[in-house]
Amino acid sequence: MTRAVRHIAMLTLKDLRIEARGRQTVGLVAVLAVLIVVVLGIGLSPGRGADGLSATAILWVAYLFGGVLVFERTMEVERHDDALAGLLLAPVDRGAIFAAKLLANLLLMFAIAVIVTPVAVLFFHFDLSAAPGGFAAVMLVSMVGYAAIGTLFAALTSSTRLAGGLLAMLVFPVALPLVLASTRLLHGVFEQGEALGGAGLAVLIAFDLIFLVVSWLVFEMVLEA
Amino acid sequence: MNGRLAIPTSDTPQPANRGARGDRAPASGLRLTPMIDAAVASPAVRSVNLCKVIDDRPILRDLTFELPAACYVGLLGANGAGKTTLLRLLSTLTTPTRGDLEIFGRSVRGHGPAIRAGIGLIGHQPMLYRDLSALENLVFFGRLHDLSEPTVRAMDLLEFVGLADRAHDAVKTFSRGMVQRVSIARSLLHEPRLLLADEPFAGLDAPSARTVERLLEELNGRGMAVILANHDVRQSLRLAQRVLVLRRGRLALDAPAASLSADEALEEIEKR
Repeated sequence: MTRAVRHIAMLTLKDLRIEARGRQTVGLVAVLAVLIVVVLGIGLSPGRGADGLSATAILWVAYLFGGVLVFERTMEVERHDDALAGLLLAPVDRGAIFAAKLLANLLLMFAIAVIVTPVAVLFFHFDLSAAPGGFAAVMLVSMVGYAAIGTLFAALTSSTRLAGGLLAMLVFPVALPLVLASTRLLHGVFEQGEALGGAGLAVLIAFDLIFLVVSWLVFEMVLEA
Repeated sequence: MNGRLAIPTSDTPQPANRGARGDRAPASGLRLTPMIDAAVASPAVRSVNLCKVIDDRPILRDLTFELPAACYVGLLGANGAGKTTLLRLLSTLTTPTRGDLEIFGRSVRGHGPAIRAGIGLIGHQPMLYRDLSALENLVFFGRLHDLSEPTVRAMDLLEFVGLADRAHDAVKTFSRGMVQRVSIARSLLHEPRLLLADEPFAGLDAPSARTVERLLEELNGRGMAVILANHDVRQSLRLAQRVLVLRRGRLALDAPAASLSADEALEEIEKR
C-alpha cells in the first residue's frame, strides 16, 4: 500500500470512528431527509405515492440538503479545537486529506441514502420499480461529483461564522449542472422508458471528473488560506 | 530528571484503576528531540526581511533575526502585533509574502514537509479530536508521522506528561490543563527539534500552568529549541533566555531576557 493510500485510509477511518462514537451526523441527517421526503411527497402527490420521476426528484432534494449537513459536520470535526492544524503539521499530502474527507462524506451520504430510500419506497409508496438499478447508478455517480464540491466548499466556509447557510448557497448553484444532468437522465429512464444510456452517464462522469480535479487542485489553497 | 516528568497536578483526577497501567517501566529512555550539538548545528531560525501581508494588510514587516539551536525564546507583543502569524510562518502553516525564512538551514519555500518533520506546535487550541481518546489521538498523529511503533511512543509520551492512566479516556472528558498536556505530547511525537508554543498557558489554572512551564523547561534542557509566544511578560522573562518584542509587525527589541526588567519589556510592547 502506498503512503498516500495508507494516509487516505487512516484519515477516512478516523472520520468514521468519530461519527460512530457520536452517531450524530447520520442519525440527524437521516431524520431530516425523511422529513423532506414526507413533506414533498405529501405536497406533490397528496393521498398517493410518488411516481418514478417525482420520487427521484424528491429523493434528490433530500440527498442535496442531507449532503450539506454531512459536509458541514465532517469539516466541523477538523475546525473544532483546530485539529486541522494538527493534520496540516503532519507530513501528509493535502490531496490525501481531500481524498479522505471526500471518501468519508460519500460513505456517510450513502449510509443516509440506504436508510432514506427504502423508507420512502416502503412507507410513502415511492415507485422506483421501473428502473431501480438505473436510479441507483445515476444517484451514485451524481453523489461523487456533489461530494467533491461539498467537500471543497465546506473547507472554504467552515472557518466563517456563516458556515451553514453560506455552504448551501455556494454548493447548490455549483451543483446545478450535475442535478440537471442526472434529472434529465432519470426523466428518460422513468418517463420515456429509455435504457440508461452510456452517453447520459458519460456526461455525469465528465461532471464528476471536472469537479474532482478542480476541488483537488484548489483544496490545498483553501486549507492554507 | 530521568526522562519523564511525574508531576502530580491538581487537574489530574485519580481514577479507581490508577496504577493498572502505571506499573509500566519509567520512560527513562524516552527520546524527545534528536541529540544536537548546539555549537555546530544550523541556527534554529534565520529570518531576513521577512514580510507577511494578509488581505493587503502588512502583518509582519522586515523581520530580521537569528535564533540558535536549543534556544529558549520568549516572543512578546500586544494583541495583533504579529506573534501568531510569525509562529504560523515558522510552522509552515502559511508562507512568507517576501523575505527569507530558514528553519535549521532549510528555506520554508519548497521544504515544507521536511521542515514540518522537525517542528512541534502547541497552539491556542489543542489540535486534537475531542471524541477520540488521548491514546487514539496520539496514535493517529503518530501514524501520520510514520512512526514505527506509534502506540508505544504514544504511551511513553502520555507517561511523560503524567496522563498514562487516562490514556483511554476521551479528550472531551479532560480538564483544560490535561488537554494541554495531551497537546504537548502530540507535538512531541516525532521528536521535533523546534517547539513553537503559542500562549500555551492561556486558560490554565496555576498548578497546570506550572506543569506546562516545567515540561517546556525540561524539553529545552534536552536540547529542543523553544519559542514561546506569551502575554505574561514576567513569566516569559523568567523562562526564556532571550526575548523578541514585536510591535505592529516589526521587531522592536531583541535582547537577552536577563538584561530586561518586566517594566522595560512592557514599555517596549506599549510604545507607540
